[in-house]
Amino acid sequence: MQPKPIALKILDVVSIFALAISTYLALFFAPTELVMGQVQRVFYFHIGTAWVGMLGFVIAALSGVAYLVTKDMRWDRFEVAAVEVSTMFFFLTIVLGSIWARPAWNTWWTWDPRLTTAAVTELIYIAYFMLRQGIDDPEKRARFGAVYTLLGGVSAPITFMVIRLFRTIHPVIVGAANANQEKMSMTGDMKIAFFFALFAFTVIFIDLIWHRIRLGSLQDQVEQMKLHLSM
Amino acid sequence: MTDKMQNSNPPHPSLFKATFAIVKKDLSAELRSFELVSAMLVFSLLVIIIFNFALELDVKVRQSVTAGVLWTTFAFAGTLGLNRSMSAEKDRGCMDGLLLAPVDRSAIYFGKAISNLAFMLLVEVIVLPIYSVLYNVNLFRWDLIGIILLGSIGYVAVGTLLSAMSVQTRTREVLLPILLFPVAIPVLLAAVKASNGILAGADFAEILTPLNILIVYDVVFIAVAFMVFDFVVEE
Amino acid sequence: MTPDTSTYMIAGFVVSFVTIGIYIASLYIRSLNLQRDIETLKSLQDEKK
Repeated sequence: MQPKPIALKILDVVSIFALAISTYLALFFAPTELVMGQVQRVFYFHIGTAWVGMLGFVIAALSGVAYLVTKDMRWDRFEVAAVEVSTMFFFLTIVLGSIWARPAWNTWWTWDPRLTTAAVTELIYIAYFMLRQGIDDPEKRARFGAVYTLLGGVSAPITFMVIRLFRTIHPVIVGAANANQEKMSMTGDMKIAFFFALFAFTVIFIDLIWHRIRLGSLQDQVEQMKLHLSM
Repeated sequence: MTDKMQNSNPPHPSLFKATFAIVKKDLSAELRSFELVSAMLVFSLLVIIIFNFALELDVKVRQSVTAGVLWTTFAFAGTLGLNRSMSAEKDRGCMDGLLLAPVDRSAIYFGKAISNLAFMLLVEVIVLPIYSVLYNVNLFRWDLIGIILLGSIGYVAVGTLLSAMSVQTRTREVLLPILLFPVAIPVLLAAVKASNGILAGADFAEILTPLNILIVYDVVFIAVAFMVFDFVVEE
Repeated sequence: MTPDTSTYMIAGFVVSFVTIGIYIASLYIRSLNLQRDIETLKSLQDEKK
């Protein structure tokens, strides 16, 4: 394996600090929310992970297109890395959402647009890995993976739109709010914790993707060596 | 794609003709044995019977779940047909023949999609009156049939593409529903919502949103599948 | 009145760190295994020569 680049080492350290600071801001700096109490502190991580989960989904679809156009295996490694890291973060988003929903709405799960779309997206991610697992030829695996991420990327927003037709109790944090939805008001300190969490998870996301890409090139190296030996 | 076609000799059949030839081949093969449609049909009836006992479909419940039961049945029967029609091509080596044929690859996609759609619609056309008789609801309404047509088009558009992928994997048949269902959720949900509205006698304005989503889904996914199908069958 | 929901909060943060930790561990273990594979394959290649 190539030695770890210095930039990655720096990014590792920055990520650890970002996570530590974000945890501190969420746990101690931000004031306690009056309606929901302490559990609201989970929300900063919930939003952070949701943001990178969606970001990864978009990145994966775009690198899928890039792979189909260029046929460059580096795009494939990038795509796998993005999908895998966001699968992990999206899983966290769903679990954290559940933990928050239990005391706030008195239920672990509601079939609300965001939750349902998140669950469907997670299933698309899992299907993606099952698809890749069933194909031996690396080039075909990359091609099919790219096609599937593209389909998933197109279908997920439509899923969200459809489920939106049903009523929602999920609070609207950013963007247009319907009149009948509860709005969460954030004080200044909450906003600092909120935006720092977004920043922190973005940094961690980039760091993990970088590591996953390096792992991907190791995998390719092993596969090529095996092929070489068997010939 | 197109310049490849223009450069070579002899002149190739047009996209329309090639598509039509594939559809004709599939339909005449099916007309000889009816093995695919009959399997889908029997399967659909079994699913409906199971739903009858699982959901205790009495008069009150029936009204609210009819659309859901119908679409679940169509979706399951649809995967059965999609799997069968694509793996038949693969097993008999027809796929290689089709790929070697001097036709545009999209003709293969459209041909397979249209024959898959024909099988699905045939099953639906038989299931609807049977369901109507069994549960004493009239499902033979033009607006409902329109929704079923739109929903089936979207489902088959994605399903044909994904079945072409799944037959080339190690897990084959098992993989298709896993790949297809999460991507097809919007079309199924919109179809259920629209059918529900029609059966409940709602105003047209209420059905309009799911109807629009159905149309958008159909157009978008036919376009996407058309664009990427080349990558799926490429050797 | 603000309800006491600290248990849920602690659960949430524990889950977050454990999940991220497991993922990083999986990355590390996978890369160790691959490096071992590469070593084995290299020695096999040398034997072949």
